[in-house]
Amino acid sequence: MKLDPRTKLFLAVVANGMIFTAPLVYSLLMVVVTSILLLLEGKWKFVCTFFFVYLGAAFFFDLAKNLDIGTSGTIVLASLFLMYRIMPACAVLYYVITTTKVNEFLACMSRMRISNKVTIPLIVMIRFFPTVFDESRAIGNAMRMRGIRLFSLRTLKSPVAFLEYRLVPLLVSITKIGDELSIAAVTRGLSAETKRTCVATIGFRWVDFVVWAYCIAVVVMFLLRN
Amino acid sequence: MNISLKNISFSYFDSLDDAILKNLNLEVRSGECVVLAGESGCGKTTISKLINGLIPHYHSGTMDGDVLLGDKNTADMTLAEISRVVGSVFQNPRSQFFNIDTDCELAFGCENLGIDPEDIKLRVENVVREFHLEHLLGRSIFNLSGGEKQKIACASVSATGPEIFVLDEPSANLDLKTIADLKEIVLRWKKAGKTVIIVEHRLYYLRDVADRICYVKDGQISHEWTPAELEAKGPEYATNLGLRCLNLEQLREGVVRQAHQPCKVPELVEGPQGSKVLDLAKQSIAKSIVFTNLTFAYHKKHPILDIDRLELQCGQITALIGHNGAGKSTLAQVLCGLQGSWRQKRVARKRGTYLIMQDVNHQLFTESVLDEVLLGMNPQNKEVALEILDDLNLKPFASEHPMSLSGGQKQRVAIASGISSGCDVVVFDEPTSGLDYRQMLAVSATLKKLAADGRTLLVITHDPEFILNSCQSVIRMEHGKFVEQYLLSGNEQLLVKMMQL
Repeated sequence: MKLDPRTKLFLAVVANGMIFTAPLVYSLLMVVVTSILLLLEGKWKFVCTFFFVYLGAAFFFDLAKNLDIGTSGTIVLASLFLMYRIMPACAVLYYVITTTKVNEFLACMSRMRISNKVTIPLIVMIRFFPTVFDESRAIGNAMRMRGIRLFSLRTLKSPVAFLEYRLVPLLVSITKIGDELSIAAVTRGLSAETKRTCVATIGFRWVDFVVWAYCIAVVVMFLLRN
Repeated sequence: MNISLKNISFSYFDSLDDAILKNLNLEVRSGECVVLAGESGCGKTTISKLINGLIPHYHSGTMDGDVLLGDKNTADMTLAEISRVVGSVFQNPRSQFFNIDTDCELAFGCENLGIDPEDIKLRVENVVREFHLEHLLGRSIFNLSGGEKQKIACASVSATGPEIFVLDEPSANLDLKTIADLKEIVLRWKKAGKTVIIVEHRLYYLRDVADRICYVKDGQISHEWTPAELEAKGPEYATNLGLRCLNLEQLREGVVRQAHQPCKVPELVEGPQGSKVLDLAKQSIAKSIVFTNLTFAYHKKHPILDIDRLELQCGQITALIGHNGAGKSTLAQVLCGLQGSWRQKRVARKRGTYLIMQDVNHQLFTESVLDEVLLGMNPQNKEVALEILDDLNLKPFASEHPMSLSGGQKQRVAIASGISSGCDVVVFDEPTSGLDYRQMLAVSATLKKLAADGRTLLVITHDPEFILNSCQSVIRMEHGKFVEQYLLSGNEQLLVKMMQL
């Protein structure tokens, strides 16, 4: 099920907006549509994990919010709250990033008359995410070999050092990769001045209209209630 | 298209006092294939950046002199204009892709130049046919092997139809078979009358391709040979200049001559899964470490790694060879407890195996070399830590920041930290990729020292020169399975043959 990148962007904006709304139902409505789209892409594993964690967090929050649990308990509670509130936005982002091809995105941005000066940094950023995950995994491996673990006495004693071990090599390597990626792009003629063509065909189809209608309906419902 | 570099001086800093190129002149005729060789840091990559316009348009610095492509000065062109005539392929396959799937990547350059979509489709079809990429279409970039990525990179540059190709160490991450494919690609370009500039340490695959080899030293081109001229001067001449061998046959003869013993084929016995195994009992090797149950799979039906038993001799350097994607890195990760089941990981931890990654930047965490070593041990043992550093010639750098060191020094710091965490088995993932001859010898010396101290070393490598220089035995694996294991002495020819298959 291929959606136009503009539809995906609209979906992402609405889903992000709805995570801040008062009754949970609007956010849930966006979770439902995102999950359906992800399932249509065959990402059932992600959807299962998502629902497991999401519902788990929501359940425990609900369970604990009326109890008297002291300061540390409140911190846990607050993080649970943040987690299940922010997760829908992460799911939408995951959907957009994994299903949008670079050239489709560039083409739709230029159709919306957004300058290349805005688009190119954006696209570098999107291309960057999977690479950062890759690097982060390699560094995590290196840390495990040295016996530096998140759940250990050492980390409890100096959590800042743990973060430093993780972040310093990551920063060094992603700066390098970012540089190499931009070099790859500029030597292949990606620039703000030239007008690009695109082999991918983008355009609205009936599914796009369904998603747009759904999103608008959710927004209207929300506005009418308030 | 002609390329001419006239009186080029360049420095990455504000003044030309510490320039990396000094008054360099280079003329490349249309249709010529020129190799830029020389030791690391001699400025050969800088020359390639002058040609593809990254200097002066991307990297800042101080520059003097003119670079002409045809009759146009690169200083007066934009990078987008230069990219129409110069196509670039880089060393690191991981970071030269802008798209996440192969189809888009092949079209990317053409799209940037604003070529008509119908025309782009034709061009992409053409390069797919020319480079035999049918099986790579529609794949995610993240699931390709290094060799496959490099082929896609060459093809997508080729699709835009530039007159000049600039390749910066394109073979650094490739196995010998894929290097042969790369050679075919360069020959194809040459046949089409394109000008090709290759910056490279490995020279042997360019022997029949290059018209000229330019040796860069002290910011100038100090020597120029045809491959035949360089070969005629003999291997010693080349190694004295820090060059890698030009001819694998020569390398083989040289080593066999050095071995001073008649070739004998060691006895092989039937091993598991129908493989041939060296009969270790008859080799009178005192001690060895046996690993069992080395399996790994993302999906049960498609095992990536399936090895029942692996035996490594203590105090020796064992080379692990096999094609890109044969499962060598997965084997290393399972051995070191980074992949696999909970039980495999526990066994690995108990055994004490340590992996030196290809990108050592990933495993340096602290603010000084000494802290790096102390991280794995009791902080009171400063003496012991200093001893380890001294062993690896790192004592003068004990208080330096690891990231400020050179590549080889970083690698030694990583080794030191592995030793300090009490590991006796050290696994190396391609420790010599992209190194010149001298650097390769330095790595080799470090490894030999570790082995002499009784440690067991397993080295994943595609570098026949390094294996012949340092290793005592060879393990070959393909498709996640163990194929054969043999002593190197007397089997040099087998090795080179197997690596090229």
